[in-house]
Amino acid sequence: MKPANLLRWYPSAWRERYGEELLALIQDTLDEGRPTWRLRLGMVRGGLRERVHQAGQAGITAVKRASSTWLLAVATGLILAGLPWNLKASLPPSRAWQGAAALDALAGVIAFTGAAVLASGLVAAPAFIAFLREGGWPKIRRRVVWAAGATVAAGGGLAGLGLAQRSMTSAQLSHSWAYFIGDVATALALVAAFGLWTSVAAATAKHLKLAPRARAAQLLLAAVTVTAVLTMVTANTIWLAAVQSSLPWLVVGVANLALVGVVTPRMIGRAVRKGRRMRSATSRGRYSPSAPRSAG
Amino acid sequence: MAPSGLRRANDPPLLILVSLADGPKHGHALAKDIEDFAGVRLGPGALYGAITRLVERGLIEPLGGDDRRRPYRITPPGSAALAGALADLRRVTSAGLARLGLDPA
Repeated sequence: MKPANLLRWYPSAWRERYGEELLALIQDTLDEGRPTWRLRLGMVRGGLRERVHQAGQAGITAVKRASSTWLLAVATGLILAGLPWNLKASLPPSRAWQGAAALDALAGVIAFTGAAVLASGLVAAPAFIAFLREGGWPKIRRRVVWAAGATVAAGGGLAGLGLAQRSMTSAQLSHSWAYFIGDVATALALVAAFGLWTSVAAATAKHLKLAPRARAAQLLLAAVTVTAVLTMVTANTIWLAAVQSSLPWLVVGVANLALVGVVTPRMIGRAVRKGRRMRSATSRGRYSPSAPRSAG
Repeated sequence: MAPSGLRRANDPPLLILVSLADGPKHGHALAKDIEDFAGVRLGPGALYGAITRLVERGLIEPLGGDDRRRPYRITPPGSAALAGALADLRRVTSAGLARLGLDPA
């Protein structure tokens, strides 16, 4: 077997970068001899490990992107879209406290999330203003236009639903196809608006030159916001379980609660550690505010 | 695992950093040097797997020159990571030797 054939176990991008060097090393090692079984097995193992590593990196990147934008937006949108229905639902007096507790928790978390998002915006505000002054608006204009369009559509939908609720009885509403379609379309527009605004925020963040302290604060606020949204999902699910006396929803709610308890402390801890590393790198003079990256 | 990814004394990344600490080397020179000072024979696959990870983490970097026998050198973060890993190893070694009564100091 020719030494070059041993490289086929490696991914093509890796071969392009390191292939010639590895071949030269193999030739130096063999010194005109034939590849031994030990060397062949080492190459197979090395090549497969490289493929697994690359697949893992691609997967992590995809999950990070999805979790940082669309998942958060979709979860928030779905919660807000379901809220009016949940608010309308009534409970028997004996279990009213369950629903009231879930609703209080939900309202509290919504307020907390809003505060976290606001704080995040304030931390980034000076860098955002500098970005606009340096002519950054065209880089985000198209995304902002789409997000604003979706927001107007969602607002129009909510206004229309409100008018319908005032002019029609509950029985008429429950049998109206137009109301049902309007309700679904409004929910979709809300989800789209949240998703598109999140996309605007993510695209803008790539261009901001944030100071290390501000970056550390942003990391922590992002982790806190995701925690808050996951808590909202949990509270909403338990609320549904109480409203519908549904064991499956209760199981989902408890499972969510366990997930929040396990995942979010680690996420916040990771953000705190990363922020600390940034600050200590700054104090050692090895960190400078990030240069603007290309739009994703 | 340490943030630098360096774990044990016979880890290929640690051996490579030690080898590069006294100057740049290409693949074959690295393998020979590591065999000389550590008695560990790293195959081409293992050696380049470790080189890839170290380059990704910014602990070593390639130098220009002959593409087929490209030398690598340790970066400042690589030197810092190596110093940290060696300090950890020295602490464990000292404790072990002291407990065995082999190193009264």
